[in-house]
Amino acid sequence: MASYLSAANAVQARNGQLALPIHTSEGGAMIPVSLGANNDCHADDIDHGVTRATYERGFSPYEFNGGTTLAISGPDYAVVAADTRLSSGYEILSRNVTKLHALTDKCVLGSAGCKTDVDQLRSVLDIKMKIYAHNHRKPMSTPSVAQMLGNTLYYKRFFPYYAFNVLAGVDSEGKGAVYSYDAIGSFERTPFSASGSGQSFLIPLMDNVIAHKNRLDEKRDLPSEEVVEIVKDAFVTAGERDIYTGDAVEIMVITKDGLTTETFKLKAD
Amino acid sequence: MFRNQYDTDVTVWSPEGRLLQVEYAMESVKQGSACLGLRSSTHSVLGALKRSVSEHASHQKKLLEIDDHMGIGIAGLTADARTIAKWMRNECLNHKYVYGTPMPSGRLLTDLADKHQRTTQTYVRRPYGVGLLVASYDKNGPHLYQTCPSGNLYEYYASAIGARSQSGRTYLEKHYETLNDASRDDLIMHALRALTGCVSGDVELTKDNGSIAVVGKDEKFTLIEGDELQPYLDRLELEGGTGGGDDDDDDDDDEEGGEEETKEEGGVEAMET
Repeated sequence: MASYLSAANAVQARNGQLALPIHTSEGGAMIPVSLGANNDCHADDIDHGVTRATYERGFSPYEFNGGTTLAISGPDYAVVAADTRLSSGYEILSRNVTKLHALTDKCVLGSAGCKTDVDQLRSVLDIKMKIYAHNHRKPMSTPSVAQMLGNTLYYKRFFPYYAFNVLAGVDSEGKGAVYSYDAIGSFERTPFSASGSGQSFLIPLMDNVIAHKNRLDEKRDLPSEEVVEIVKDAFVTAGERDIYTGDAVEIMVITKDGLTTETFKLKAD
Repeated sequence: MFRNQYDTDVTVWSPEGRLLQVEYAMESVKQGSACLGLRSSTHSVLGALKRSVSEHASHQKKLLEIDDHMGIGIAGLTADARTIAKWMRNECLNHKYVYGTPMPSGRLLTDLADKHQRTTQTYVRRPYGVGLLVASYDKNGPHLYQTCPSGNLYEYYASAIGARSQSGRTYLEKHYETLNDASRDDLIMHALRALTGCVSGDVELTKDNGSIAVVGKDEKFTLIEGDELQPYLDRLELEGGTGGGDDDDDDDDDEEGGEEETKEEGGVEAMET
């Protein structure tokens, strides 16, 4: 609607309610408006209640660009994986954008959420890590990175980074370490972690296969190759049901000797 | 001469048109232990002799990393050098954050030279008492710069600063034409050979007091110190000893023929021709 006048002409009556048709990339909608005095309308509302309409609100600084991340720790390795689809609403923006970022050669950050916030968070972390390396003359250890990430997120407690992070790496003893985060810096070291749009499909699966819950057979330590296969199956599962997960999954295995990466194709639908 | 009357403040000219405070600051650089740099068409190498206050003390670090593509070697007041290094590191990080590319070294160095100059024209400050050799690698290839307290900036193929650095400079002058096509390891060996000329009489170049840094194509700024330096020192010894250096008579005037003494290691005769 280009102007108030054209909008006023377009107002239609539907089911006894006056409404303004709007069109977006996800289809159309009828925004209820009030031109007269009634319970919903305020006398001084210049937009006739449009911004209070349930469908579309005012400007939001956040947008969810989709995707899922998963990290699993082992006795001497950590596996971290994330799909490579970038989306906005029902549209796919790219099938090949990484969600994984190596902070050191022993520590990888996987983030789903709003891509611009994720990128900015990474830039900030990279700078802090460089300063640490300059001052301490060694790269940051994974538990220290974990703490720093938590602090960095809390720093923006009242305008958060819309980033759902998993941190995976090996600690100074060479044992696998995985940390889960929320958007405002609460974190915890956990045996595994999943975040993003497909986390609900992955976490119950991991509970059974990795944490060995609700199983009668003997729990055993899994070698990293087997965990990678489990991760691939998990992402196939999540990709089936979650529209934002698919295209490909990037899997990194971190050991004390360094990082290896593998890309596994998923369904593109 | 009129040195004493006009040397109290940096803002006072001497009748000969000199800023004596600045010159005194440059003296401080000459008192620091030797630091040298050289470059080829692919790499830039820094070498330094680390001094230690006493036998039980550690050796003072002379080579500092600034960013992945840049590092410095210092001679003079270490504390001043660390302040400058902190500033340079900060500038590089900011540039990377804002522009997404590594800081071009030429630009940083001109800013650094200006920073030095400012201290020579302000009443309440003093010049930085440190000379820097800056090795970097950017899209135009490797670079070596030298700064001094006066604010002058020079770019070099090879240079040496600090105590007894003349011997190093002479060696580098002799060999600089071969440097351009030298390999990375050859450059390091040249740096070590030039450095051996800068040791004082009874000292020899060891893995504890020697220090090398390299930056170049496909190589981030890397320090080679301690045990990692030993293979190069061993190679140097095979050639002719870690104290003999080159057969130059062009030594510092204040050194009483320190070059003439053979610096032997474990009784192996240095094979000089």
